[in-house]
Amino acid sequence: MARIILDHVYLTFRVRQQYQITLKEYLVRRMYRQSVNPLREVRALSDVCCDLRPGDRLGILGANGAGKSTLLKLLAGIYQPTSGRRTVVGRISSLFELGLGFEMEASGRQNILYRGYLQGETPRSIRAKMDEIAEFSELGDFLDTPVRYYSAGMLVRLAFSIATAIEPEILLVDEVLSAGDLAFQQKARQRMQDMMARAQIIVVVSHDLESLQRLCDRGLWLDHGRMMAEGPMADVVEAYTDHVHAQQLQVA
Amino acid sequence: MGAYLASIWDCRYFWLSLVKMDLRNRYRGSVLGIGWSLLHPIATTLVICAVYYKIVKADVREFVPFLMAGLACWTYLVGVTLQGCQCFIQAESYIRQHSLPLAVYPLRTALGASVHLLLALVVVVLLSWGLRGLDNVLALLSLVPAVLLLTLFGWSVGVLAGFANTIFRDTHHLLEIGFQLLFYLSAVIYPKELLYENNAGWLVDYNPLVAFMNLIREPVLAGRLPSAWDLGFAGSVVLVVSLLAGFVLHRWQKHLIHYL
Repeated sequence: MARIILDHVYLTFRVRQQYQITLKEYLVRRMYRQSVNPLREVRALSDVCCDLRPGDRLGILGANGAGKSTLLKLLAGIYQPTSGRRTVVGRISSLFELGLGFEMEASGRQNILYRGYLQGETPRSIRAKMDEIAEFSELGDFLDTPVRYYSAGMLVRLAFSIATAIEPEILLVDEVLSAGDLAFQQKARQRMQDMMARAQIIVVVSHDLESLQRLCDRGLWLDHGRMMAEGPMADVVEAYTDHVHAQQLQVA
Repeated sequence: MGAYLASIWDCRYFWLSLVKMDLRNRYRGSVLGIGWSLLHPIATTLVICAVYYKIVKADVREFVPFLMAGLACWTYLVGVTLQGCQCFIQAESYIRQHSLPLAVYPLRTALGASVHLLLALVVVVLLSWGLRGLDNVLALLSLVPAVLLLTLFGWSVGVLAGFANTIFRDTHHLLEIGFQLLFYLSAVIYPKELLYENNAGWLVDYNPLVAFMNLIREPVLAGRLPSAWDLGFAGSVVLVVSLLAGFVLHRWQKHLIHYL
């Protein structure tokens, strides 16, 4: 049975002012016991707690840079907590950064295989889904063309079609509700709802408060990595919008 | 450890498909295709041989298989290390999307390089057979564990080089210079006896790269199994490097994404 528990989770990024430390910089720093490219600590998440069980649909909201996507990646196991405990039981399927992870020289069909395997499919299971994925993506003969010839919209359509062809236990979604053009968006919305109906636990990150209220029953509002509110979705959205309006009045 | 290896096995279809794609992409659009993998060591050997034949009057029938066996192994070791430097950077988009065990990316590099090593070894054995005959065909069976050992070594070195280069981007360039130096110290293109004659035998006696080359040269050129020293030395080096790679993965796997 799927379960997600975050127990007082903190995540700190150690970033440098410049992109990468070079060996020269490292040696110089060691020699003079100082740095020309110092490390800076950024607290991405602070004391985040939650306990999700089958049937829970959690929507995460907050301003840009609040830590929403970071929290989703932490749930997916891409980031590990700096302190605190993350416990996840169940097969995770994640829908974020959909445009990434394509092998540009390979055809659309070959990419369906690679991404399917990445999501835990076997050759037999992904071949069984190949026609359905191809049909949903509406890419037709383009599927036999290297994906480097695809437009950004075509890539997202293909990625969405592959990612949503699986049977998820835990589904993590980050702002993919607007994949593709208008016609595809309507289809994608229906597909997402079907998928969400099958998943045991869903966590959605979005700025679209209407979608969040339609899809989720629980909400979590983050601000600068801190939990500002957690509870029934309507209450959390109300607290968040009140906060935003208050801020706007202050600025005015 | 067991659970980690099991998780690598669980996503075998993914990394195997990447290895296949790398091989396909390498020769995409080329007329000779994988034939380049066979032609490349032959062409390098012919060039070096032509020079050596003029300068030291080496016996081509002996020297060509000697040189090709050494170059096959050397090309593998250099290739797997330098490509290993890029393994995590190249896989950044996957690492940012899925929490697969990081060891699958250097494994992709090592397996791809091992396929090329196998092709090169086929050429070495065929050329040796054609030019000077094979003294003991059964000894060739020792090439199987030798290739497995080299693959494990390549995987472990790929982990270390990948971590080092992701954190210090100068690593790749430093290694390139280091390998240039080692190339002339490792008896790749000359017999190791030349070093013994100049009281520099220790350069090859305690050089693990020479031990790896001997695992290939002994069965093909001398028709005998590799010596206990070479086997023990190469095996110990692989063990130490593998343990080190395991430690690095265990200690720093969760931090690597912050450097990408």
